[in-house]
Amino acid sequence: MIKIENLYVSVEEKEILKGISLEVKPGELHVIMGRNGSGKSTLANVLAGKDKYKVTNGSIKFNGENLLDMLPENRARAGLFLSFQYPVAIPGVNNMYFLKAAVNAVRKSRGEEEIDAVDFLSMIREKLKMVDLDESFIHRPVNDGFSGGEKKRNEILQMITLEPKLSILDETDSGLDIDALKIVAKGVNDFRSPDRSFILITHYQRILNYMKPDFVHILMNGKIVKSGTMELAKEVEKKGYSWIEEEVAEAA
Amino acid sequence: MSISNYKAEFEKMLNRDYFSKSLHLYRKEAFAQLEKTGFPTRKWEDWRFTNVSIISDGEYKISEISDAPQTTPNIDSYQMEGVDTVVIYNGHYQKELSSVPDGVALLSGLEHFERKNGKFDTANNSPFDLLNTAFTDSGMCIVVEKDTQVEIPIRILFISNGVRSIMVNPRVYIDVAESSSLTFMEHHVGDAESFFQNESVFISLENNAQLNHIRIQSNSEFTQNMANINVNQDADSQYHFWQLVDGGKLGRSNICVQLNGENAQCYINILALSKNNQHIDNNIIVNHNSPQTHSSQFVKSILFDTSTGVFNGRTVVHKNAQKITAHQTNKNLLLSKKAKMNSNPQLEIYADDVKCSHGSTTGKIDEDALFYLQSRGINKQDAMELMVIGFANEVLDKIPHPEIKKAIHTEFTVKLNRLMA
Repeated sequence: MIKIENLYVSVEEKEILKGISLEVKPGELHVIMGRNGSGKSTLANVLAGKDKYKVTNGSIKFNGENLLDMLPENRARAGLFLSFQYPVAIPGVNNMYFLKAAVNAVRKSRGEEEIDAVDFLSMIREKLKMVDLDESFIHRPVNDGFSGGEKKRNEILQMITLEPKLSILDETDSGLDIDALKIVAKGVNDFRSPDRSFILITHYQRILNYMKPDFVHILMNGKIVKSGTMELAKEVEKKGYSWIEEEVAEAA
Repeated sequence: MSISNYKAEFEKMLNRDYFSKSLHLYRKEAFAQLEKTGFPTRKWEDWRFTNVSIISDGEYKISEISDAPQTTPNIDSYQMEGVDTVVIYNGHYQKELSSVPDGVALLSGLEHFERKNGKFDTANNSPFDLLNTAFTDSGMCIVVEKDTQVEIPIRILFISNGVRSIMVNPRVYIDVAESSSLTFMEHHVGDAESFFQNESVFISLENNAQLNHIRIQSNSEFTQNMANINVNQDADSQYHFWQLVDGGKLGRSNICVQLNGENAQCYINILALSKNNQHIDNNIIVNHNSPQTHSSQFVKSILFDTSTGVFNGRTVVHKNAQKITAHQTNKNLLLSKKAKMNSNPQLEIYADDVKCSHGSTTGKIDEDALFYLQSRGINKQDAMELMVIGFANEVLDKIPHPEIKKAIHTEFTVKLNRLMA
């Protein structure tokens, strides 16, 4: 699905990612954990194509294509989705209008016809139920005045509507109460399939009580320093990160 | 400052036999006063950012019979569903194209002017109101009697056309009596090659009356527009105003609202869209003269190219006006490095138990929001348009009457597409 090789990224002359390699195969769910400032969100933003991040070395192949050559909108059309850590409010733009524009942009790029308004509404009603939101929600301006939980559920709503192949969830679990967290986790779990992949970036182990990752990676100072399975996440939860830091220091 | 160009035209006008002689006294009085004050210069506090020399030095002629259409003009492109329309073409009323809804009495502006002895209440005896009084040549008076709900909106379609440099001074009175309601729309259009329109509107809302006032200024880029809007409100009355300005070379709206009775409410919503070297100025004064009155000013500008804009919003809360609420919001979107906006929200409060707020923001397209939309598959161009339309929608979405809203929305989107292409 995606293959990241030896990726170096700088922001305003400061090197944030220092040689990341990661391969995610179809159907897999990878978790990336790490402290604040370890480079987690940088990785998410680089994958989605935000332009203030400068790739100084390395490559990213997305289903065989060179991802770094693609505009953000073309990455989305090719099936990449980022659930934002901080979803942006767009006053005056109706959520439904936005969702429809997004769905049609993706369809158009595939040479398909624009979705009919009635079909779209019935599809959205279906999806709204999956994230436990009522219909009034889609008539509000995008993320404008939404609570933290509503914003994150709106991200998941967009994900299940756009049906991407690779979903990157950037701290989608942070700041959620337990009910909202369960809804988000269920949204993701219901959406999992053998041809869809996920990169879940998180600060906390908590969401992993509701999901089954295939791999867990620890990001530290711009590098993946340790990879493992669910057991690794549990160990971090119990012991924190310092033992890994010590391991890294010893190896160096 | 030079009134002399206008002096000759004024003499000419007094000799027009189709204007009632009984008005001459008021005209002369107003012109004499205008000669004393002169046209505003940039030294006047309220005119610091707007240069009107193109008007004061201009050589605009009064509109003659020959400036009226010789045959019935074609207004197909200005048709609008769901409204009754009155047409005024270069200052000449087009009776055969006009109709009014049930519940509305239409007097000619001149008849009404006479009825009210030419009197008006405006802020600081504004020079352009004086000019209008001196030169009033057209207009309407719309009267809604007590307890009358006018269902169908009435629209005045002001068309300015032709190659001759002319000025028109329409005067519109709107009197809505107790517990009545009306939607009034003024629609300024046309392809004039040199035109000065100086419009004065006098609105009087009695107790519990409601007026929706929609003003669209979309005339040619060679038009200078002055709009002097004076509103007097009695207790429990509601004034809702929406203005969309995208036409004209110079456009200035002087809006003055007097909230005279308790619980009188006014809601002013403005959207300005400017391009090339257009200059659009919205100057608003709201006077809270009574307790428990409410006002809001919500003014947005979208500026392209080297266009410039001004927001000057003043809310004055007088000494006895306790328990009032007043809000001012000004948001400006600069879509070019060379566009410029002057924003000046002001509160003057002389009462002590009030709730007031004001705020102003001016900025470019939000890059984070742009990226957000792109990350959902929407290309950059479409994303920008979506955001600018969203910015505008905060004003346009509140327009009452679905047909009017839809027509305005469609026209706005077409214009924006053209500008952003």
